[in-house]
Amino acid sequence: MAGSSPARPNGNQWASPSSRSVISDILAGDRNSEARHRLLIEAARREHERVREEAERVYQEHLWRQEQERLIEERKKEEDRIRQEEQLAAERRKINALKAKKVEIPPVLPDPEPVKAPPPAPKPASTPTPSQPLATQLNGSSLFGKTPDTQAASASAAPKGFGAFGQTSTSAQPATAAPKQTTPPIAASSSPAVNNLLGNSTQVNGVTAPATVAKPQAPAPAQQGPDRLTVIHKNLKLLRKSMLDQAKANPALKSRMGDMRREIRKCVGQLTGGGAGVNRARNRVQSQLVDPNTFLVEPRAPVQGPTNNDPQIPSLFIYLLNVFAKATISQFINEGGPRPETTDPVGVCIAAIFSDPAFAWRGASLIDILFAKFRVVCPVLWGYRGSEKTEQGRARIGWWKENGRWVTEQAHFDRMTGLGAGFAAISLRNFGSSKKQNPYPPRHYWAAMAKIINTPSAEISNTQCVVLKAMIQNYEEKFIHAYGTAALAALRTALVEFPARAPVKSSAVNSLQVVYDLLRKSTGLVLG
Amino acid sequence: MADLASRITKPDEAPAAAPEAAPAPAPASEEPKAPENETSIEESQSNLVKNEYEVEIKLSDLQNDTESPLYSVSSFEELGLPEAVNRGLLAINFKKPSKVQEKCLPLMLSDPPRNMIAQSQSGTGKTAAFVLTVLSRIDLSKPHQPQALLLAPSRELARQIQTVIQTIGQFCENLIVEAAIPGAISRETGVRGSVVVGTPGTVMDLCKRRQFDTSQLKVLVIDEADNMLDQQGLGDQCVRVKSLLPKTIQILLFSATFPDKVLRFAERFAPNANQMKLKHKELTVKGISQMFMDCPTEKDKYDILCKLYGLMTIGSSVIFVRTRETANEIQKRMEADGHKVSALHGAYEGQSRDVLLDEFRSGRSKVLITTNVLARGIDVSSVSMVINYDIPMKGPGEREPDAETYLHRIGRTGRFGRVGVSISFVHDRRSYEALSQIAQFYGIDLIQLDPNDLDDTERKVQEVIKSSRAQAEYVPSATDSAV
Repeated sequence: MAGSSPARPNGNQWASPSSRSVISDILAGDRNSEARHRLLIEAARREHERVREEAERVYQEHLWRQEQERLIEERKKEEDRIRQEEQLAAERRKINALKAKKVEIPPVLPDPEPVKAPPPAPKPASTPTPSQPLATQLNGSSLFGKTPDTQAASASAAPKGFGAFGQTSTSAQPATAAPKQTTPPIAASSSPAVNNLLGNSTQVNGVTAPATVAKPQAPAPAQQGPDRLTVIHKNLKLLRKSMLDQAKANPALKSRMGDMRREIRKCVGQLTGGGAGVNRARNRVQSQLVDPNTFLVEPRAPVQGPTNNDPQIPSLFIYLLNVFAKATISQFINEGGPRPETTDPVGVCIAAIFSDPAFAWRGASLIDILFAKFRVVCPVLWGYRGSEKTEQGRARIGWWKENGRWVTEQAHFDRMTGLGAGFAAISLRNFGSSKKQNPYPPRHYWAAMAKIINTPSAEISNTQCVVLKAMIQNYEEKFIHAYGTAALAALRTALVEFPARAPVKSSAVNSLQVVYDLLRKSTGLVLG
Repeated sequence: MADLASRITKPDEAPAAAPEAAPAPAPASEEPKAPENETSIEESQSNLVKNEYEVEIKLSDLQNDTESPLYSVSSFEELGLPEAVNRGLLAINFKKPSKVQEKCLPLMLSDPPRNMIAQSQSGTGKTAAFVLTVLSRIDLSKPHQPQALLLAPSRELARQIQTVIQTIGQFCENLIVEAAIPGAISRETGVRGSVVVGTPGTVMDLCKRRQFDTSQLKVLVIDEADNMLDQQGLGDQCVRVKSLLPKTIQILLFSATFPDKVLRFAERFAPNANQMKLKHKELTVKGISQMFMDCPTEKDKYDILCKLYGLMTIGSSVIFVRTRETANEIQKRMEADGHKVSALHGAYEGQSRDVLLDEFRSGRSKVLITTNVLARGIDVSSVSMVINYDIPMKGPGEREPDAETYLHRIGRTGRFGRVGVSISFVHDRRSYEALSQIAQFYGIDLIQLDPNDLDDTERKVQEVIKSSRAQAEYVPSATDSAV
């Protein structure tokens, strides 16, 4: 008890062994006297009282503190409430504003509307189910199946890489899709597209989960992507036309739109090796609302959290993203053709813009807008191939036409060089140390490379070689960083085996081998 | 043929240019060739399946046009170059020789060696042509014996040529290329390379100090020869350098411009030379869209300049001005507008000039503001716009328009058949007339741009670029795709 009681202010109330000699205490004559006994009892009582008082004081103090805490808590709650109410009010105001704006929609909305209807319709019929097994077939077998005699050594290493995508895609697809099937609250236009929506809803919800959840999904959208991408491209053209029409009626929009467009183009042109200046495109001008799903490979349902969650967002916003995408692709073609290394800062900027939550919608990026364009200008990255000697073949591989005539061979290869390097600059970004989500992770790079490399020997075209070279050169390090040993096997296939089995040893084919020569010379890397 | 092709393939042309033709045009048009994963879509396509045959197309009209400066039938392999040189060419994306290369190389490589005077438009591969000759002529087993000498009018150009030789010759063992420019060659050892690129003055100094053994030189190349032989000081130096060289040396003279009086001198300088010449109406490069901006006053030029950068996609750009003061002022304004700018003019010396130009070459800065110092020869392939902020003038009191300089200036873009834009600023009667005279001399239609309605100007610029792209021709560059 004595040990647990608070310290005494002074020690003479109790016979302290330290203040008096223990021996004299024991030997003193009056040690058993009544007076001493009383004295001791009295001292004990006083001590008891003191302890009690102290305890009561502490208890009181504790109560006060509790009360204080409660008050603070209450104040905080109150503040929160006010803040929330304010937010709510702002939301409401926004909704009101939106409602007010909606009034003007009817006249021009018919423009994008008919476009929106067709895409879901043909898609479920053809793409989702049949393409997935084929995806694995393509990834898993054709590279090695079709050239069994070329290299057994790499075959042992590389299938792991390909398989990682191919296999997991089929096995993971039903697994992840199944639970979602029960809760498809997606209010999108057509129900036959359920298959797509499933893929989508998992992707959207998986956004917050680690990348591994999203990863296995890759082949599915990648396979059905191309067709949808051309549709998006078409929709974007309609959007641009609609914007021009809007601008005619709205002079404020016209001037702002032109200025923003030129500003974005200028900024993209200014990008250099240093830090990327991010374009800040602000919506201060009114424009009609559009459904972003029109511009996405897979429709999205609302998700919790992100700022841009409304079913419709201003068309100017999409338009500006579209201008940005256009500007970057144009920069790839015009600057990256002659100098592929200049694509890298542009890639950084693209990654920065599309990973920025402010430019995202429903928790994921709108980068499909960019790749809709990319798909049209550089189809070989999506596995399309054709002969450079035929009209249709050229159209298929993205040989550009200007004023009804094919651009020159060198101009075409220039374009392909810039676009190949640009693709690598976007898809090989390392988001390892970033909190943001990579809008276009390296699996797309792998898929594109696989599709080129898996071309049957007889159909290998110079365009493919040029694109392949451009997407590899200067990006070897990033590729190896992303895929490790699997990247080495892929590089070997791309730089050694692929050119070796090309039927015609054109200079484009030979230059792939020279990439390897240079790599060996500068880094000592031997792809054995 | 083009007509026939377009008639037959009409339904299919759309996919690349205007994809509304089909959601999936590609796979449908060719059953056997489509990748496996795409064939499944075919049943749903109806409008395209009829085309089961594919139409062979003729090679682009340009590449079969024997008048085009880039017309060529042969390949580099057929020229019989050393294997290492061929690999070097591939490494920097040279795929086919250009016309000047294809016509001149067999003549220059023939034995016994003959002199050559060659004229070809800017950006058509002159440098590579003489570099290939040099690399074929030298004996790599004697790496320290000077065997080829190349002269250029400026330090920058000499360094650039040095880089080209090193790049194309990157697989040639024991190739040592030295730059005979101030501060580059050790005073103790003298010249120790088999190939020497330099400016005439420094080469003379080295000879005087007996640090340059010229006894076994086989090739003498003079780049921008009209400029070198015409200028008072440089011309004398060239003659003196030549007098120190072996009498049997092969002399090669190259330029985009050869005014008549210089050509007569050149013929004496390089006797019995094979010649390749152009008429001055053939001199302009078709891929360069030439426009002019009608500015209300001299002061407005700054603001208009900054606005140009939003009108089109621009890689790098060069702005030519008359004075250093203007250069500095423009630099200030453009940096405020977010551009990374290098200003290079006579105020800088030697190494700091190298640093500025290297920044521009590497793309760390994308705008180069300069005076006539760099009008000639400098090759940065990503330059997509040249601005004549001041119209080039020459003669006493700068009264006469300088057509040659104009041509060399705009030749900094549109390299190797790529598209380029040149915009000349005029702001008063005098500058307008000077520009008109230049346009008349070369027979070009300059397109006028209006600085007030930017939307309209933007559209016009895009159209002009599109139409000139259709005429562009191509040959690759050696300078800056160096790995």
